[in-house]
Amino acid sequence: MTAASNDSVVGLQIDRAQDYLDRLIRELHALGDEKKQPLVTVLEYLAHHIRVTREEIGALKLGDGGDSLTSTADELEEVVAETARAANEIMEAAEVVEAVAAGTDPQTRNALQAATTRIYEASAFQDITGQRITKVVRAFQHIEMRIEALAQACGEALSQSGSREASKGDAALLNGPQLSRTAATQSEIDSLFESLDTAS
Amino acid sequence: MSLNKNMRVMIVDDYNTMLRILRNLLRQLDFNNVDEATNGQEALDKLHHTPADLIISDWNMAPMTGLDLLKSVRGNANLRKTPFIMVTAESKTENVIAAKQAGVSNYIVKPFNAETLRAKITSVFPGA
Repeated sequence: MTAASNDSVVGLQIDRAQDYLDRLIRELHALGDEKKQPLVTVLEYLAHHIRVTREEIGALKLGDGGDSLTSTADELEEVVAETARAANEIMEAAEVVEAVAAGTDPQTRNALQAATTRIYEASAFQDITGQRITKVVRAFQHIEMRIEALAQACGEALSQSGSREASKGDAALLNGPQLSRTAATQSEIDSLFESLDTAS
Repeated sequence: MSLNKNMRVMIVDDYNTMLRILRNLLRQLDFNNVDEATNGQEALDKLHHTPADLIISDWNMAPMTGLDLLKSVRGNANLRKTPFIMVTAESKTENVIAAKQAGVSNYIVKPFNAETLRAKITSVFPGA
């Protein structure tokens, strides 16, 4: 049996269990026997927890807000891209220093070359951190796939109802650095800014 | 006998940053005849066209890994004797064993320094 069909079976079992519990609770209430009250309380507690758990799984699943798993993986990929860019900038500067050093006296040249060697060696951090972050991104993607399947198994309606509430007011403006593929360029910001000046 | 600094060196890594680091360190070691590729397949295509005197390759790349490149090089009559240094973050014992069994000449674990690179290059050219 595949993981997806496993999740579907789990979903069906969860649905049936909750339906059964709800029906049982209604029937026990209808009996009106006070001796059954502790049992009813326990069953209500269980039913409530199943409902809350399903909603929480649904809330984990989605969100086009800033803190979904997809978004977190995207942010980490952006870290890799940014550190690569910075490492290349640093090395480019070191290459310039090395070229200039070639025209200096031997003592200065040796000192500068030793320094640039250390810069090149240290720049390897980007490769190492990049590989580590890529592993974390893959783990996130795997977890997200499993949660997606579980949320679908628990019922789409519940998963939607459980989505996180969106931030309001000024808090909604705190999104941190934008991903490069969606971020506005400075010239786009300038255009927007100027268009607002014109409008006011 | 000294090491021939004019030898053709093929460096292979899917991270441009690492290619740049290797190229710069090799230049500082006076190796200026350096070609590069971003995966095993690209390197193999270039090597079929123009063989190298030394291959320095990363392991974890797609579509062809460094280990697959090594096996292809060792399985090719024209390339099989080319010294091959694996430069990788894969430092588990089983990785080193697998690379050794595939015929790697030496193995450098990232992060590495210029002195390690120099020493490993020298070691794969005995008598140089």
